Amino acid sequence: MSRLLTPVLWLVGIVAASALAFSMGGYATDVYRKLLIWVALALSYNFLFGIAGQVAFSHFAFAGVGGYAAVIFAHKLGIPFPIAFVLAIMLCATLAFVVALPSTRLEGFYLALATLAFSQLVLVVINEGGTLTGGTGGIANYRLPPLLGFDIRGPWYTVVLVLIVAFTLWVLLRMDRSSFGRACRAIRDNAVAAAAMGIDVRRVKVMAFTLTSTLAGLAGIGYAYIDNVINPPVFGLDNAFLLLFMIIVGGTGSHLGAIVGTVLLYLAPFVLEPIVGHGFLVVFGILVVLAILFQPAGLAGLLTRSPARQPA
Amino acid sequence: MNDFLELVVSAAASGCIYALVALAYLIILRPTSVINFAVGEWAAVGAFVGVAVLTPLIWPRLEGPYWLAIIAVLVILGALGWLVELLTVRPLVNKGASITSPILALLGVLVVFRETMTILFGADPLPSPPPFGFNRVAFGPFAGASQQFLIIGATLALFAAVWLFFERTVWGRAFEAVALNRRAAALMGINLRRVTAMAFAAGAMVAGLAGLLMSPLTSAHYMMGLPLAIQGFTALVIGGVGRVEGALLGGLVLAFVEQLGARYLPIPSGLTLAFPFVLLIVFLFLRPSGLIAPREAR
Repeated sequence: MSRLLTPVLWLVGIVAASALAFSMGGYATDVYRKLLIWVALALSYNFLFGIAGQVAFSHFAFAGVGGYAAVIFAHKLGIPFPIAFVLAIMLCATLAFVVALPSTRLEGFYLALATLAFSQLVLVVINEGGTLTGGTGGIANYRLPPLLGFDIRGPWYTVVLVLIVAFTLWVLLRMDRSSFGRACRAIRDNAVAAAAMGIDVRRVKVMAFTLTSTLAGLAGIGYAYIDNVINPPVFGLDNAFLLLFMIIVGGTGSHLGAIVGTVLLYLAPFVLEPIVGHGFLVVFGILVVLAILFQPAGLAGLLTRSPARQPA
Repeated sequence: MNDFLELVVSAAASGCIYALVALAYLIILRPTSVINFAVGEWAAVGAFVGVAVLTPLIWPRLEGPYWLAIIAVLVILGALGWLVELLTVRPLVNKGASITSPILALLGVLVVFRETMTILFGADPLPSPPPFGFNRVAFGPFAGASQQFLIIGATLALFAAVWLFFERTVWGRAFEAVALNRRAAALMGINLRRVTAMAFAAGAMVAGLAGLLMSPLTSAHYMMGLPLAIQGFTALVIGGVGRVEGALLGGLVLAFVEQLGARYLPIPSGLTLAFPFVLLIVFLFLRPSGLIAPREAR
């Protein structure tokens, strides 16, 4: 793509995704906003799981840390929102770094179990946080304060979420197309060979985990101001599994696949639930097994001619 | 003191359940290197099979005896474990996929099992009758529900049987050989496919028995699987993934820490939920080989 064309395409995409927000009613807006959060989370999770090859179950926990931290800083402790926002992001990054240091030493699926335990711990802390976190009921009745004199409301908040998705995708594409992204793929496919080529495996793993988890925190902050309510169950294990399934069905390691898988699995229940009730989750489970068995490149592999490279 | 002794019985019983789930993981993990998170769901299936055989709640006309429930659990779970291996794990192994692929596929299987149970049995917990009634039993200073003693006795018997299988039978040695070196074992004429299939069937049977044994205490419920899967895995990591004895020790350690901590530590009860996760993290980071180190190749 030419140097001129790329920014134009980005602009068209952002404007189109934003314009959609202004044509929607209340219910559609709610669905659309949550879909955007899912897409943002799926994009960063796809980098962590699909490109860096780290099976982690902590992505939603970091979204929860980000969301809760921003709300607590801004509305419980009364810190001005821009500072609260920066503090929340910094907290996510620090926590992710601290978790990543020992976790990335673990082989294979043991990382998944350590991060699973970590995310359950985060939930326990939120549930037991008393008045600070609101316990199991969560926190409600706060709203985004005016920023720089602008009161961001209605469809304009949806535009903010579109910008969060765009920013996430931009950061991830920059990372993916740099030597860092190639190092991540090399480690995913063969860590020993990557180390032999001079890649600092530990460093790259820790950086990938920290960066993507921080992006999850950003999405979590975006989520916290959709309904102006934040409570623990959203950040639990069920959604972490669903996120993983979205990536596998969409196409592990492919940005397009992450978006396609998320849109499909997020919207499928709206169609399937009236017909089969809770049975749609059985369908998801079967889809995941079928994808792993017969179409490891996922739906993205069907869309693009050249097969996406598969994780080792 | 009485309070403490009763707590010991209760912790030992829970510990035995964790140990059985850990054993189910171990039987599958040793020869195949596959961490099968679906074992928790298999325990739930075992609990529901028990309810179906023993009570009129699921299958009205069949109120069978307890031995029939045990046989039904062994047959149904053995078949399910074998089928899951045949349909999801074997094709991936044949294709030469990485070890993560079957583990992730089994997460899909987990969801399929759980949601199928919701559809078949509903969301409400179904009570399961204890085979020796609800009366209390005392052995010396230790007193508790009859079911708790049944759990402890059955678990010890099962562990003894599995230990004997691994140590004393040709098939058990074959399992161990595959665990130590897949290629060398195959070259020695051990049928890898059969060992893998047997491991999944046997693991599912053990998990099913765990569910059957615990259901009188907790009821059969579609959500019982995942917590059990996490606790069982924690027990496995505490004890060490290499040895049968480790699973038993790990289960008991986990249950005693949970229950004694909840009873005697001055912290809010909600925080005691964090114990298994803290233990899991501590052991993964500080002592990944567990309390009992795996046996080296001789």
